[in-house]
Amino acid sequence: MTHSPIPKISLQSVGKTFTVRPTKDAPAGSTLTALDGINLDVAAGEFLTLVGPSGSGKTTLLDLLAGLTRPDTGKVLLDGKEVTGPGKDRAVVFQQYALFPWRTAAANVSFGLEGPGQDGKRLSRRERAEKARTYLDLVGLAGFEDRYPHELSGGMKQRVAIARSLAYEPEVLLMDEPFAALDAQTREQLQEELLRIWRTTGKTIIFITHGIDEAVYLGQRVAVLSSRPGRLKEIVPVNLGDRTGDIDIRSDAAFVEHRHQVWALLHDEVLKAQQAGHAKILPDGTAPDEAPQPTSGKAA
Amino acid sequence: MSAPTLTTDTHSTAQAPATPTTAGDAARRRRPAPATGLSLLKQGAQNGGRALWRPGAILLFLLLWELGPLYLAPSSTRVFLPPLHDVLGALGALIAKGQLQNHLVASLTRSASGFGIAVVSAVVLGLLVAWYGALDRFLNPLLEVFRNTAALALLPVFTLLLGIGETSKISIVAYAAFFPVLLNTIAGVRTVDPLLIRAARSLGLSNFTLFQKVILPSAVPTIFTGIRMAGTSSILVLIAAEMVGAKAGLGYLIVNSQSSFLIPEMYAGILTVSLLGLAVNYLLVGVERHFSRWRTAVGSGNG
Repeated sequence: MTHSPIPKISLQSVGKTFTVRPTKDAPAGSTLTALDGINLDVAAGEFLTLVGPSGSGKTTLLDLLAGLTRPDTGKVLLDGKEVTGPGKDRAVVFQQYALFPWRTAAANVSFGLEGPGQDGKRLSRRERAEKARTYLDLVGLAGFEDRYPHELSGGMKQRVAIARSLAYEPEVLLMDEPFAALDAQTREQLQEELLRIWRTTGKTIIFITHGIDEAVYLGQRVAVLSSRPGRLKEIVPVNLGDRTGDIDIRSDAAFVEHRHQVWALLHDEVLKAQQAGHAKILPDGTAPDEAPQPTSGKAA
Repeated sequence: MSAPTLTTDTHSTAQAPATPTTAGDAARRRRPAPATGLSLLKQGAQNGGRALWRPGAILLFLLLWELGPLYLAPSSTRVFLPPLHDVLGALGALIAKGQLQNHLVASLTRSASGFGIAVVSAVVLGLLVAWYGALDRFLNPLLEVFRNTAALALLPVFTLLLGIGETSKISIVAYAAFFPVLLNTIAGVRTVDPLLIRAARSLGLSNFTLFQKVILPSAVPTIFTGIRMAGTSSILVLIAAEMVGAKAGLGYLIVNSQSSFLIPEMYAGILTVSLLGLAVNYLLVGVERHFSRWRTAVGSGNG
């Protein structure tokens, strides 16, 4: 990895704390630290994967990068400038596709093209349709422009979602377990296509996943988060050589070694998270496992 | 002569939206079977049976209406329950004289204005209430009280305050139609998938654009369900209001015919009301279906 002087993305001792909603067991409410002192630089054009046990704040980290929430401590920098809110220079791909069911595939893809673009210019209806077609073609869905999301399979929906994120030409692609809901075959297929798209477009990609295989297969580096509060445990550089060939990378000795390395790092953290009963932090900043824990959680 | 054609016409349009869907379903289900002559024959017989089965109950009811008063009821009852052909004759006469059209126009004007006012104001208020939580908490108890007060219980109040003219009737129709639309609008906005909002927010959409492009389209099917419910209740309330004090309208026609002892005319009025109700309902169901194509299709796709 060659690091340019100003990294594309830079997290500087980023921390995020949530206030847990008061419950019967804890009427005063409490706070939970989702992320603590994260330092991470991502170079332009890098593909970084992020793994961590449940509740380690992966999605919180992504929300911070997307500008959907602000950090409580530290700074999130994009091209050396602080992130203050969402913007079209970054795109988020969600696990549950988040397609607009009342829009066709093409209309979904052109959603981000409506309104002023990054350069302040507006595209005409025809230009938007043209772009939508181009990007649907890029994700292998040419001819599906007029289908509604309910007429598409899960893999196709996620392709549409990826096309939608690429269409307004962001520099950074933030992906939150995008392939977790797909079957194994579709997932492998989409992983390959994502790598192809990454190579052709040169986007900076931050990819959250539960799967160690997926993390090692896709990432140039794998960042491992600790159990809550999420800290950066280690960054594992992955070197699998040229991956464009037809060889089965996953059974390659280097792949297996990297995989084991990440597994070992993650294993302890997963155990810790399980013992503490950590579960996912909800988007509104509450963690259902946190509040009732002192009484009912342990008794059960 | 025009009377029977009118009824069959409305009848067939009323059936129209239902029949193609069942036929389509049947065809889809049967597609894998080989289309031999015998199976085609069977299919034809089944479709024919189905075509008769659906309006069967209505035909039976009309038959009973026609024959019952003639052969089953004592002659004293027959005066109050004239057979169908008497009623249709009266209906024909009312149409020929242009009276029915006048009453229908009067009723339709009132219900359409009241309904229109209700839909516009309820959608606007519903969007505001659903968007601003504080407004919701403030207004909700009051809205609950009004919602649970039957509109017709307030009819005397409307009459006292607004007189027996058009204003009071339009107002009570608007009142009755207001709440279904309001509640469904609120529910529609509330149940927008939060993930879609997150996705839109990640694009840096402003509140207004978010509302216009995500929340409103997502709530439209639910809002239209409310509008359909409001359509039904607006006709119901209007007829009742016209019965109490009016100089025109279908409700007036019914009550006035009764007090003038024009019993077939009274039934002709009732028949018109039920046909009007059916027509309005089918129209609104069609509109609702059109606007929720993407949502209803999900259900039929899984089913």
